[in-house]
Amino acid sequence: MHLSDKLLLRVEKPGRYVGGEINAVIKDRENKTRFGFCFPDVYEVGMSHLGLQMLYFFINRRDDVWCERAFMPWPDMAAVLRETNTPLYALESGDGLKELDILGFTLQYEMCYTNVLAMLELSGMALRSAQRDENDPIVCAGGPCATNPEPMAEFIDFFYIGDGEATLDAVLDAYRDHKSRGGTKTDFLKVIAGIDGIYVPAFYDAAYNHDGTIADFGSNSPEIKNRVKRAFLPQLEYFPDRFLVPLVEAVHNRVTMELARGCVRGCRFCQAGFIYRPIRERGVDHLVTQAKTLLEATGHEEVSLLALSACDHSGFGELVDKLLAVTEPMKVSLSLPSTRLDAAFLSAVEKTQRVRKSSITVAPEAGSQRMRDTINKNLTEGDILAGVTQAFDAGFNKIKLYFMAGLPGETEEDVTAIGALAETIVDVYYKMPYEKRKKPVSVSVSTACFVPKAFTPFQWVAQAAPDSFESQQREVKASIRKKQITYRYHDAKTAYIEGVLARGDRRVGAAIEAAYLAGATFDGWSEHFNYDIWLAAFEAAGVNPDFHTRRGRGEHEILPWDFIDMGVSKRFLRNEYEKAMRGESTPDCRTRCAGCGIEGGACHV
Amino acid sequence: MFKVRIRFSKDGALRFIGHLDFLRVFQQALRRSELPVAYSQGFNPHIQLSFALPLPLGMASANDYADLTLKESVNMENAKKLLQNQAPLGLTIKKMWETEGRNAASITAAADYELKCDESEMPSIREAAKNLLAANVYMIPKKTKGGIKDTDIRPDIMSIETSGNTAVMRLAAGSGRFLNPLTAAAILLGRETAACEIIRLELYEKIGEAFVPI
Ligand code: SF4
Repeated sequence: MHLSDKLLLRVEKPGRYVGGEINAVIKDRENKTRFGFCFPDVYEVGMSHLGLQMLYFFINRRDDVWCERAFMPWPDMAAVLRETNTPLYALESGDGLKELDILGFTLQYEMCYTNVLAMLELSGMALRSAQRDENDPIVCAGGPCATNPEPMAEFIDFFYIGDGEATLDAVLDAYRDHKSRGGTKTDFLKVIAGIDGIYVPAFYDAAYNHDGTIADFGSNSPEIKNRVKRAFLPQLEYFPDRFLVPLVEAVHNRVTMELARGCVRGCRFCQAGFIYRPIRERGVDHLVTQAKTLLEATGHEEVSLLALSACDHSGFGELVDKLLAVTEPMKVSLSLPSTRLDAAFLSAVEKTQRVRKSSITVAPEAGSQRMRDTINKNLTEGDILAGVTQAFDAGFNKIKLYFMAGLPGETEEDVTAIGALAETIVDVYYKMPYEKRKKPVSVSVSTACFVPKAFTPFQWVAQAAPDSFESQQREVKASIRKKQITYRYHDAKTAYIEGVLARGDRRVGAAIEAAYLAGATFDGWSEHFNYDIWLAAFEAAGVNPDFHTRRGRGEHEILPWDFIDMGVSKRFLRNEYEKAMRGESTPDCRTRCAGCGIEGGACHV
Repeated sequence: MFKVRIRFSKDGALRFIGHLDFLRVFQQALRRSELPVAYSQGFNPHIQLSFALPLPLGMASANDYADLTLKESVNMENAKKLLQNQAPLGLTIKKMWETEGRNAASITAAADYELKCDESEMPSIREAAKNLLAANVYMIPKKTKGGIKDTDIRPDIMSIETSGNTAVMRLAAGSGRFLNPLTAAAILLGRETAACEIIRLELYEKIGEAFVPI
């Protein structure tokens, strides 16, 4: 049952907890595998996520499965659920999550891990897989963070690694067979452990060296494969023809189109750029038809284009023209993701913003050329200034610049180069003829704290310490003198915890559990993040956070995620790491195949 | 341009979303319906839709009103069907008609609210209603800009009728005078009540001395 009306009126934004969205799928409970798609963040965030929309309709296209949704309740609602002994329920049926067959969590961000535990507990389930019984649903997890599943291994029955559409059907078929045949959870997990992308932590053991590094990692039974190969979809085909339209305002209320999965660029800090290789594009006509269908099915007023580097879509110009032909008569606006400030992008922006000029975003990621070469950004200062000049010329007067601090090999000069670049951009504006700069220019600089991730060339490097991030932030601030420039930065302490969860091993799970039990949830929300709880949790669990973040790994060390075959080879990543240290760049996949190890060699993208 | 009035009822999950959310949800339904709706001018053109009176969070309404502008005249029976097909669960389109008069929001003067009560509460409610209606002045502390002030709410209570285990209150509502139905309900019940226990039945325009549904 959904919460009673009176209790709903006690919480903020009760519309988050009542379901009833346009296009929500209601099925009858009989003879269905009941799947709960669990998003471990607040409703408005989850409902804006394209992956949720895609998998929800992908799973629900099967007649034998009913996929419902649950989100992490906001603390006020969590308190009401606890106080009234109401289990966390699925929005479609109002049934407690515990009554479902499979719960699938999506792990988009490490700082949501405590929310996963909270959702399990609010459903009336034990946190650890080993403590749950045959009556509890099977708990699985997927998403980008599942590429290093180990920190969450104790809580999740199986992980799904790779493209959702690739082998999810095989898992659901196996579950249907299992249900009709009968048997234990372990029987079922043994069957699916043979499917690409499926990792069942209970079937694997780790042994450690005295120094804490991994001595050995592998399956504990001969019938289970030692290496887990990602689920891979050679061609993107499925795209839903409906989206759920929330009743309460989500972060994004729009139709999002996935232009491509993967990226041709190979920026060395970017996990998505490696784990989704090679690039797989959707065709222009397919995208345009789908966008029209989705607009008609939702009533949304905005379409946005999603890809790691949207302008790299081989039909980008044509796509924008054809989409505009659909959206303009429908009074729908088209928003372009900020990627590279090149001519193609600017001309597209010109077309989509005929009247009003808003701000434009550039992501040089690093201030100095040396650092941009290290991260393989393949972007010179000349490119940036040329792009900015064109944007100013076209009438834009607000520029947002995104950078990362704490990159490997970074010196003080590299940090102050961030401020210098911003100042140069202001100068570029004032060099324009007077009549072109009627409005005041504004440049906003923001720096994120670089957190090395698994399956990137930087998976071996030490992350910068919180206090060094903080001193870098002070340096950037000091290097900015012009009043037209504003500066914002990400929290260094959050980045430190994120770093532990991103590259930690199985032993880190105990610290996540301890942090949750001490009250940590919504760690990705600055108003809820509590650094001290985490430090105490590491202490209590006997986990040294510096070991997982601040330590550079040796070339031959066994990394916690080494047993996963994500397509790219470790040799390629190592080679990229060495090139990074030498400041050498690698051309993009279209210029020349870098031999990343994807099966079959050059993939002719 | 054609001005159209829509009479609808609202219940279920829709009771738990705020006024702006409901406006967006309604506009999305109109966009899906493919009715020839008129858009405002400007950078962000939006559908010209307005409601007679916002509904408190949690409250259902039996007869609610919205004004819409269409680009062309269409068959109203058909328009009603098109919109109903796209309406979210809990929104029922009861009637649509062309109108030339003033906006629903500007003419709304009173509203009927139905209170579902416990059988056992009815005698005391009847008593409270009688006293309230007999009084010439009824002062209660009310929040105003300048802090809490005693205010006479008696003029804002038009009638209270009880039958079976319901009470129907007609209260001032609209852009002029407005009495919060929860305040009035609390006086009748002698206890706090929640918006989900009240249904707004009807909205009225005042023509002469008579209250006429808008
Ligand atoms: S195989 Fe070559 S072209 Fe394909 S993704 Fe890897 S580096 Fe790029």
